[in-house]
Amino acid sequence: MDRQLAHLSDEALVALAARSEQSALAELYDRYGRTAYGLALRVVRDKTLAEDAVQDAFLTIWRTASRFVPERGKASTWILTLVHRRAVDTVRREQRRRAESLDQAAEPSVEGVEEDAWLRLQRERVQAALRRLPDTQREALELAYYGGFSQTELAERLGQPLGTIKSRMFTGLSRLREQLGEPGTEKSWTSTT
Amino acid sequence: MDLHDLTAAYALDALDPDEAEAYERHLSQCEECREQLAELNESATALAFGTVAPAPPPRLRASILDTAAAERSNVVPLLRRPWVARGLGVAAAAAACVIVGFAVALSQSSRTRVVTVVLGPDRTATLHITGLSSAPSGKTYEAWVIPAGRRARPAGLFSGGGGTTVRLHGTVPRNAVVAVTVERTGGASAPTTTPLFSARA
Ligand SMILES: [Zn+2]
Repeated sequence: MDRQLAHLSDEALVALAARSEQSALAELYDRYGRTAYGLALRVVRDKTLAEDAVQDAFLTIWRTASRFVPERGKASTWILTLVHRRAVDTVRREQRRRAESLDQAAEPSVEGVEEDAWLRLQRERVQAALRRLPDTQREALELAYYGGFSQTELAERLGQPLGTIKSRMFTGLSRLREQLGEPGTEKSWTSTT
Repeated sequence: MDLHDLTAAYALDALDPDEAEAYERHLSQCEECREQLAELNESATALAFGTVAPAPPPRLRASILDTAAAERSNVVPLLRRPWVARGLGVAAAAAACVIVGFAVALSQSSRTRVVTVVLGPDRTATLHITGLSSAPSGKTYEAWVIPAGRRARPAGLFSGGGGTTVRLHGTVPRNAVVAVTVERTGGASAPTTTPLFSARA
């Protein structure tokens, strides 16, 4: 591993990846691969499909890094959005998913999983923020994001008007944002100064 | 269907493909939705950290990097050259550097601050800075491009605070120096203080 890159920002790494620097892609993977895999696994619930989703996403990063616009958002958001999109596409292709009940999207057990200490803190922080949301909003966010259900599917399955689902997702995400404080500060500058 | 209403669902990837396509078309014309989406995307992505993350199998890393390498094998090999970074002021220090293809990444790493200049093939440059505290009240950070033997040209103002990315105005000629100073709000037409950081491209 090229430790020279370890102190660069995610955005700088993406800029280097755009110029075919493989060690920059490796460093991005070392930073986000584990979160990406955990996310993909949660959505697709199959190890092989999760690996495929993560691989597709990182190769998309490699191929399209030059089109990344830092002004529009953080690199980590871009990376994990690509992973999530891949995972959701995969699970929607899988017909069997359609027949499953909604509680199949529930949080997998942490038992037997060796967690990275920093990632565990992050997980607990996000889960605590989710718990502070009203049940209907948390349910809408979890089923959409982790379950891969579309808003139309959710409206049908929860027996709610589409407008209700939309507003639960919007209010839920906005409140989550407040709960988590200013995004972007959690990793880079709590440790500085 | 009111497309403004689809921002949260889009951020959560909860739209059907035709809805997502319609929303993306709308996005290209609606500044309000672009701004809202940037915020909601950050919240949605926080959820990625909200689930247990077992370690992926090591073969996944190898497979990604091998495939990536194979795809770029027809690209010109990396050009590695000695690199000189010279401080203009007392605050500037020797720099670790990476030269990649046509790109240059220069890092000046102290305990709290990392500055990277990424120089593109078209000689445009982007400055990435982490750990730079916000400019004091009434002040701004100002980036400069100083072509060899010429006067400094203002290349952008920024306020610092956390991670900062600044696309430098204009291009950076060979052997020009890129520098950052603290100036009065509104910026100056020539540097008036010692650079916090400078490097020769
Ligand atoms: Zn709009």
